[in-house]
Amino acid sequence: MIKHNLLLFFRNIKKYKTTFFINLIGLSSGLTCVLLIALWVVDELEVDTFHENTVYQIWNKFETPEGTRVMTWTPPVLPDAMLAQLPEVIYATAQTLPEWYKNTPLRVNGKTTKASGIFAQKDYFTIFSYPLIEGSKNQVLTDINTIVISESLAKKLFGSPEAAIGKAIEWDLMKTQATHQVSGVFKDIPSNSTTQFDYVLPFEAWKNAIIHSGGEINWVSNNPATYIVLKEGTDAKEFASKIEGFSKLQNEDVTADLVMTKYSSNYLYGNFKNGKQVAGRMDYVYLFSVIALFILIIACINFMNLSTANASRRLKEIGVKKALGSSRKTLILQYFSESILTSFIALLVACILTIIMIPTFNDITGKSLSFELDLVKTGLVLSIVLLTGVLAGSYPALHLSRFNPVSILKDQLKSSWSELWIRKGLVIFQFSLSIVLIIAVLLVSLQVQYVQSKSLGLDKDNVIYFGEEGRLKQHKKAFLEEARKIPEIVNIATTSQNIIGADINMTAGMVWSGDQEERRSRFNELRIGHDFIETMGMVLKEGRAFSKKITTDSTSIIFNEKAIKMMGLDTPIGHTVRYGDIDYTIIGVLEDFHFKSLREEVNPMFFRLENKKRSSELVARIAKGKEEIALTKLAKAYSQFNPGYSFDYTFLDSDFQAQYVAEQQVNKLSKYFAGLAIVISCLGLFGLATFTMERRRKEIGIRKTLGQGKTQITLLLSSEFVKLVGIAILIGLPISFMLSQNWLSGFAYKIDIKLWHFLSAGVITMGIALITVITQTITASNKNPIEALQQE
Amino acid sequence: MLLELSEIFKWVTTGGNRTYLLKGINIEVQEGEFISLMGPSGSGKSTLLNVIGMLDHFDEGVYHFLDEPVQNLKEKHRIELYKKYIGFVFQSYHLMDDLTVYENIEMPLLYQKYSSSERKALVADMLDRFNIVGKKNLFPTQLSGGQQQLVGIARALISKPKLILADEPTGNLNSKQSEEIMQLFKKLNEEDGVTIIQATHSEANASYGSRTIHLLDGRMVKG
Ligand SMILES: Nc1ncnc2c1ncn2[C@@H]1O[C@H](COP(=O)(O)OP(=O)(O)O)[C@@H](O)[C@H]1O
Ligand SMILES: [Mg+2]
Repeated sequence: MIKHNLLLFFRNIKKYKTTFFINLIGLSSGLTCVLLIALWVVDELEVDTFHENTVYQIWNKFETPEGTRVMTWTPPVLPDAMLAQLPEVIYATAQTLPEWYKNTPLRVNGKTTKASGIFAQKDYFTIFSYPLIEGSKNQVLTDINTIVISESLAKKLFGSPEAAIGKAIEWDLMKTQATHQVSGVFKDIPSNSTTQFDYVLPFEAWKNAIIHSGGEINWVSNNPATYIVLKEGTDAKEFASKIEGFSKLQNEDVTADLVMTKYSSNYLYGNFKNGKQVAGRMDYVYLFSVIALFILIIACINFMNLSTANASRRLKEIGVKKALGSSRKTLILQYFSESILTSFIALLVACILTIIMIPTFNDITGKSLSFELDLVKTGLVLSIVLLTGVLAGSYPALHLSRFNPVSILKDQLKSSWSELWIRKGLVIFQFSLSIVLIIAVLLVSLQVQYVQSKSLGLDKDNVIYFGEEGRLKQHKKAFLEEARKIPEIVNIATTSQNIIGADINMTAGMVWSGDQEERRSRFNELRIGHDFIETMGMVLKEGRAFSKKITTDSTSIIFNEKAIKMMGLDTPIGHTVRYGDIDYTIIGVLEDFHFKSLREEVNPMFFRLENKKRSSELVARIAKGKEEIALTKLAKAYSQFNPGYSFDYTFLDSDFQAQYVAEQQVNKLSKYFAGLAIVISCLGLFGLATFTMERRRKEIGIRKTLGQGKTQITLLLSSEFVKLVGIAILIGLPISFMLSQNWLSGFAYKIDIKLWHFLSAGVITMGIALITVITQTITASNKNPIEALQQE
Repeated sequence: MLLELSEIFKWVTTGGNRTYLLKGINIEVQEGEFISLMGPSGSGKSTLLNVIGMLDHFDEGVYHFLDEPVQNLKEKHRIELYKKYIGFVFQSYHLMDDLTVYENIEMPLLYQKYSSSERKALVADMLDRFNIVGKKNLFPTQLSGGQQQLVGIARALISKPKLILADEPTGNLNSKQSEEIMQLFKKLNEEDGVTIIQATHSEANASYGSRTIHLLDGRMVKG
């Protein structure tokens, strides 16, 4: 029996190759898509989840006139205070942010290597599960003269982790130099950890360095991040509300409340709104899960539709079988096993495709996924496939097997209205989804293009920036002069901070008019060197930039347009503002430039000249096309001041692009997925058209013998499908309008949605559908009518 | 007695009107009979055969098959009954185009409890008997009409039924082929004792049978 059914199955495949291959291609590409997305989603969900402890992060929450702000920066004394006063806290550590000391110099035997480091307290390796190869987790950071390094850093510096233990490493940060002994080596931080670093220094050393450079360690100096572990059985929610005012109780100058979040959830829910954690990347996880589901549904609909059509072709088989004594149960089983078998063949193809496509997919998503199936994933995939098979087989299995054999054999069975409508409804549903996806892709790519081409108010191309390290600090002037001599360097300047991507220093206390009550309005502040505005290619709207020739410029100030607007100054040039007990004269107004992602509004901002000897960054503009030679010369100049240091720089443009990594990934991926969706939908339409033409062969034959022309017949046959796609477009358009508005509302600067966006998506969809159907109808109307009539 | 129909009525209702397809049919069939059903097209021959073969239901009357009251049987039981005792031969053969001659003949056995070696033996027997061993790997479309009907009959006989129901088995065949089929039926009837009920238009075919029942508008009439 099984052999028999298998035979029928395979001979059917041979007979209706097109149907089968449409089914197979559609289903396997749908499944491939689902597999890839599933791998991505699982990987996203697993970020930072490998720590054995439930680690909580404590944040500072400030109320400002612009709303609530939640910040990573917490008092350096907070962890010890929590540990001492709160019995629920069993471990606590401060940790400096990894981006602060990125690519910082370490010296071993006079040789300098750059690596990224953090400072953390003694329980750091107990709190976080970064496994140690050498050293024990509760000892490596107890002594102030220790340093813990990563496996690859140990290999690079000393050849092996064992050889590294006890060796001396000299570090140089925040004007402090010290030599520490390697006390431990940890396994390289896995890529699914959001915190990335190569070495860890004791937090005590950081405190000393801060005090040494004139800073303070107290309740109002907010710097490191704070992580804690709670005693088992502690109600986290209750505890979070209990500690909200903890800092305020410690010191009366504290204005911040404390917020607690799960460390492992920060990656996906990294955005704060009104002091509460809301989705961040999780939005994309949802988005792609929905896309995967849609594509699977579209593929399943095809499969269902085609199996149904195919089953109707096989009505005779059902009739004969029943007349020969086959029970309904046997038939149901047969059809279910056929559709399940087909889905498994599709799964096999999908697995192969997935393995082939993973490298490309990794390139696009910036992940390092691999196709490894564990028990859970295998179970998930198998149940998806089983469900697909059962869904697709349900119609023929349950509906068709019910019929009386006599009526089947007498050919009395006409497709019922409901059956036709279900089939048409499925096509409509499919194309509605396709059009939603097409519009989504169109808008996402337009927005990404817009973001990339929007006038930023500065020229981000060909600008590099680099840190001021080693002896550069003392000899800044000389270095700048040396660099200016290089003909390929257009301009070079200093700034207190890089302006793209990073959080620019915020300040309040600006007074711009006598009767002003509000002094808490916040401005971004940048202390810059001469030529900075010119180097960055910022555009002056009014007035002038700072000049070396004008000595009074030490009390000059430049605002951006936004700030002028906020302050309500009609004739800003020459106006005096007061800030930090000094009067500044406004000498220029800059066109607003975007220093944050276009998701956010431009902030009010001002510039002053740097007049103290504070550490800074350097920016240089390079002549177009001369990058290589300019960089070589600059590196040479740099090494004259800093022998043994390597010259590390970053292009401003790449920082700028980095802000839109997520959008660009979504842009690329959604293009693939939408393309796939429409291809699968068209495959379905193609299959259905083939089937319809076959069924209407006799009708077409009669029409032709009665003298109807080919064109007329083609039109007649096509119009039926055009109607379906038309309805789908009408349904899809309003849905996509709402969805796209929703997505775009996340951007402060965005494209306007225009009617043509929707119309063109509709036209494209209709066009593709038409091409698909007309190829079929033309073949049908070209057939010899006599042949068709004889076969009946 | 093999089967007995008494006062069988069958009708369809369209727009509130009842159209009778069978009206008061009374037939007794003994084992070993060869009965011909005659009547013009549309007189109800096929309907009656389908009722006898339990492929179709009836609305009134009593039908006993081997003393089992068919109208009271559950579907499952009914299928068991006709699987075991009844074989069908159709005018348009109704062979599976996607299966070979061998596989077509084998089909009914798949719905009953036979081991694969038993099946092999039975099918080989049948192929032998009908002289179509050489054609066992061909598909139905590669055969002539007469050969296809032979396969159809072989398929009907494979599970050794007591009763063969043949609905115009020669309707699509030429006279020479018809005669061969009728000879075969006669042989089956006389040598193997298979009961046969055939529906036919032709007097010549009817003459092979031992008894003829005439139908007109769903009613039995005297010949
Ligand atoms: N399901 C049905 N619904 C309505 N009329 C039917 C149905 N089945 C058969 N008939 C009608 O019943 C009559 C008898 O049909 P049938 O038994 O096929 O006749 P025969 O086989 O003698 O040619 C015909 O007029 C046919 O149209
Ligand atoms: Mg008939």
